[in-house]
Amino acid sequence: MEPRAAARIRRTLLYVGLTAAAIVVLFPFFWMVVTAFKQPGQAFSPEIFPSSPTLQNFRRVLTDYGFARYFVNSVIVATTAALFATLFASLAGYVFAKKRFTGRDKLFALLLASLMIPGMMYVVPQFAIINRLGWMNTYQAMIVPHLANVFGLFLMRQYMMTIPSELLEAAKIDGAGEWQVFRTIMVPLSVPIIATLFLLTFQFHWNNFLWQLIVTNLERLYTVPVGLAMFKSAHEELYTLKMAGSCISVLPIALIFFFAQRYFIEGMTMGALKG
Amino acid sequence: MKRIAFGSCLVAAAALVALAGCGGGEQAATLTIWQTYNEAENKVFKEIVGQFEEAHPGVTVDVVRLPFAGAEPKILTALTTRTEPDIARVDVAFLSKLAMKNALLDLEPYVSQDVRDEIVPVALASCIYDGKLWGLPDQTNGLCLFYNRDLFRKAGLDPDRAPATWDELVAYGKRLTDEDEGIFGVGVRNSLWWSLPFFYTYGAEFLSEDGKTCLLNQPAGVEAFQFKVDLYEKHSIEGGAWRAGGIQNDLGFQNGRYAMILNGPWAVETLKETGIDFGVGLVPAGPAGTHTNVGGNDLVVFRSTSSPELAAEFLTFVASEETQRMWALRLGQIPVNVKANDVINSEEHPYLAVFVEQMKSAIPRPQTPYYPEIENLMNPEMQAALDDTKTVQQALDAAVAEINELLAK
Repeated sequence: MEPRAAARIRRTLLYVGLTAAAIVVLFPFFWMVVTAFKQPGQAFSPEIFPSSPTLQNFRRVLTDYGFARYFVNSVIVATTAALFATLFASLAGYVFAKKRFTGRDKLFALLLASLMIPGMMYVVPQFAIINRLGWMNTYQAMIVPHLANVFGLFLMRQYMMTIPSELLEAAKIDGAGEWQVFRTIMVPLSVPIIATLFLLTFQFHWNNFLWQLIVTNLERLYTVPVGLAMFKSAHEELYTLKMAGSCISVLPIALIFFFAQRYFIEGMTMGALKG
Repeated sequence: MKRIAFGSCLVAAAALVALAGCGGGEQAATLTIWQTYNEAENKVFKEIVGQFEEAHPGVTVDVVRLPFAGAEPKILTALTTRTEPDIARVDVAFLSKLAMKNALLDLEPYVSQDVRDEIVPVALASCIYDGKLWGLPDQTNGLCLFYNRDLFRKAGLDPDRAPATWDELVAYGKRLTDEDEGIFGVGVRNSLWWSLPFFYTYGAEFLSEDGKTCLLNQPAGVEAFQFKVDLYEKHSIEGGAWRAGGIQNDLGFQNGRYAMILNGPWAVETLKETGIDFGVGLVPAGPAGTHTNVGGNDLVVFRSTSSPELAAEFLTFVASEETQRMWALRLGQIPVNVKANDVINSEEHPYLAVFVEQMKSAIPRPQTPYYPEIENLMNPEMQAALDDTKTVQQALDAAVAEINELLAK
């Protein structure tokens, strides 16, 4: 067979396979959107497209259930938390990757070891501290406890270690200060990993349910996941409303991924090459 | 300068003390309530709270609505820092756990016998643990048999008559089942709670009086569960709703695959929305008659409350005849106050009236803080019996042995 023809067949097979995989992955999302437009009683009817589509679910979710408010809260919490967590992780990652100080590796190992403690173990002590600080029912209670992110530190350090130290030395010889080195050399070279970490932490905070519920006693401070949980009561679950709420909920993640995907994929491939 | 500052501090402090004095006065108090009602219930509950505040000038009731799924961890976390509310609405199974942890206020001195006599007995039983009263019910429910009237008509059965006994259910089921069409007479759920009507109608007992021994592997229990297994294996009228990956029974009922299922009053409104023509009958009678198990929610007062009398009064107010009348009328639910039962007449509430009738022979769940654990031990063994990997006797013996070990602790 001609090599060209073989390549074409291979490519066709690849696309067929990828398309099939994409359908499998996207179908639940498709079903979520379709259900969001169904009449409440038709949530489980097996029709692909609703016979009498309605916007009523979205209207009720936004007005009766205060989703607009929850959405704003989630945006504030997730954006601030992701921004600061990424900033702190990149500063700390830089220090652990490029600076020498006594006990550096031991300290790093200790921090890594803390990753083995299940997240749930922190809930009660952190709650006790928040309560002692009088931070109940505040945004900072939702944000601050998660700003020190060891996983993020690990990610940043591993990535920054691959940046040649010669670059930093060259900058220093040219008279750049510590802050300038970080800002003009480290950050621009680490954009892919910074974008990745931002996306991951944003997603974590966007989906965080239990903590946000525990530190708030005011409905106007509830976030989207807490709002979504409201659609399930003791016995019944309002599926069409839940799906409408979920559509709203995936929007920011989808948007961020769409705009950051260039960095995201670049980050993954760069890691693959150098790791 | 310093003096003036000190002086103004004193004034401010005095003002604060005066304010605090006002707050601690006889009338003024705040009650905080954490509740998990759904949207419709929440609206009615707010009105009830409004009426209570009106009747108690100076009292503020602060209501926090929580998602049902997160309420338990939130309450347990709050208890560790003593930031729990005065009152919370909890599932009946959670009440005994809180009582065991000594988190609740014993309501013995605050709720009179007259008040207790008005409460639906099985619902009141859900608030008693270790011989003491730890709450008052705000909602009660049980299971009944839902049947699809269209499928009954097609099978030549009377659409106005549900099977009265389990034998009749089997006979009906054989006429309703059409395997080629994928239609089955019944769909059953496999979990202990959903199996209790089977056990109770065969006269099986759940726990011994002292709560230390599980009795479900006694002959009556074995016979009951054997019947449930037979629906699938011997009579072939059950569609495998209990299997992982099978069509779940609610869903199968909504799509006309299962003609009869057990379900609670909460399903009535949902089913009406789907436009299915359905009827509700009592749980088919077994050798011991017709019985349902009991579910529902209770209001409890935490012992850390600074206004125990007021909190108890609120609970009594919610369970009172007038409030329950309004609640049942507006939401179509079973009243927890027997005096309000007449609201649910069979003309206006044909479905709910059956439930009210069923509740009269309901059997309360034994009050054990280990109920969730018992479910977890029982369910896989029941599954094994349904799968035919174990006989019913073997499966129940194995589960009971583990449960007894747990209860002996």
